[in-house]
Amino acid sequence: MKSLLTKEMKLAASPLSYLFLAFAAMTLIPGYPILVGAFFVCLGIFQSFQACRESNDILYTVLLPMEKANAVRAKYIFVCFIELTALALAAILTAVRMTLLRDAAPYASNPMMNANLVYLGYIALIYAEFNVLFLSGFFRTAYKFAKPFVSFIIVSMLTVGVCEALHHFPGLTFLNGCERLPAQTAILLCCLAVYALATALSCRRAICRFEIIDL
Amino acid sequence: MTPLLEVRGLRKEYSSFSLGPVSFSVDAGSIMGFIGRNGAGKTTTLKSILNIVHPTGGEIRYFGMDIRGNERAVKQRVGFAGGAVDYYPRKRIADILAVTGRFYENWDEAALRKYLDAFSIDPAKTPRELSEGMKVKLNLAMALSHRAELLILDEPTSGLDPVSREELLDIFGYLRDQGAAILFSTHITSDLDKCADHITYIRQGQLISSGRLDTFLEEHRRQGTGNDLEEIMVHYEKEDFREKLAD
Repeated sequence: MKSLLTKEMKLAASPLSYLFLAFAAMTLIPGYPILVGAFFVCLGIFQSFQACRESNDILYTVLLPMEKANAVRAKYIFVCFIELTALALAAILTAVRMTLLRDAAPYASNPMMNANLVYLGYIALIYAEFNVLFLSGFFRTAYKFAKPFVSFIIVSMLTVGVCEALHHFPGLTFLNGCERLPAQTAILLCCLAVYALATALSCRRAICRFEIIDL
Repeated sequence: MTPLLEVRGLRKEYSSFSLGPVSFSVDAGSIMGFIGRNGAGKTTTLKSILNIVHPTGGEIRYFGMDIRGNERAVKQRVGFAGGAVDYYPRKRIADILAVTGRFYENWDEAALRKYLDAFSIDPAKTPRELSEGMKVKLNLAMALSHRAELLILDEPTSGLDPVSREELLDIFGYLRDQGAAILFSTHITSDLDKCADHITYIRQGQLISSGRLDTFLEEHRRQGTGNDLEEIMVHYEKEDFREKLAD
């Protein structure tokens, strides 16, 4: 598995997957739907899959002496590494926004989503959607990725819209502030649990699909 | 002696094409040419025996072991090169080789350097900077550097100039002398006349013959169906287009 991960990082990954981690910094933009940053991180990961197809990565990998299931697991681990790194960067910037910049004028009058613990949970949900819709969809053929990615775009944009709208509903304003931290923490933990479960199930499904396809 | 590769009753069904049953075996220190027209099922057969496509039926054994359940062990001892397929065309060859070597227990750096020198491959280049012939040689160097006992090559000579083809056939002969076995598919029959010991011939997915090349040629000379592989293949395959177009 270590060798496969080295292969993913050194040969298969597009540099854009790493560069697009910078979109985690969208967390700091006031008056903007900052959750879109998570979508851009996924777009960066998508570039690696595009590069993989162009470089015959899947064929190269299945010819190596290893189990096919591990080829899928290595892709998932790489994707989770990018996603969790982006989430960690967003968490650091969220902490800055919630503490040092808490009373900064652009954030105090921000009509859009604020960066807080719930926002981090929403990011995890976007990543879960990517893993379920795109990753598992890709391994249906290990070649075609347009349809899975379009499904992800539609669902993730709807999610961004819903998450932006939620805090405007009566009784849900706490979703956008720095108050009721225990409730926010519970939401974040639930979203992280959804991410972990969805990714594990998606990986299992992708392995089954990859085992039966002809390359 | 146990054959390095034994294929028994291999079948693969597609909606518009059906392969097999195909049976043949490859012994150590021999070169088996796998011939047939374009679309005859050569690549499907090779992909099936490498478990890249899933056969509908049949048995594939390497070194006496069924590939199912032993894929990892088998692939340590088998090398595959798909002609001029270039993996990671924009990465440095040195990086590709360094990563590839991590997967093989018998990876031999000294042998790799020897092959790269002999084939004049600069590891600082990227695969996209190589000619078609050099790409085949790079794939071959990768396969040989883990001391593969059996090399499976899909159309390695297609698209090469006559000099590169001749060089490649020389390399095959050298490897056979070293004890390796080679199974390579081609539709260029003159390549087999020069180096193959055995041939397996398939036509429209069906096995026509598999055995020693000299016996195959002798039988066809006796039957008057051709003196060499090209004539035999033309005898079996040629369609009368004048008649078809006149209808």
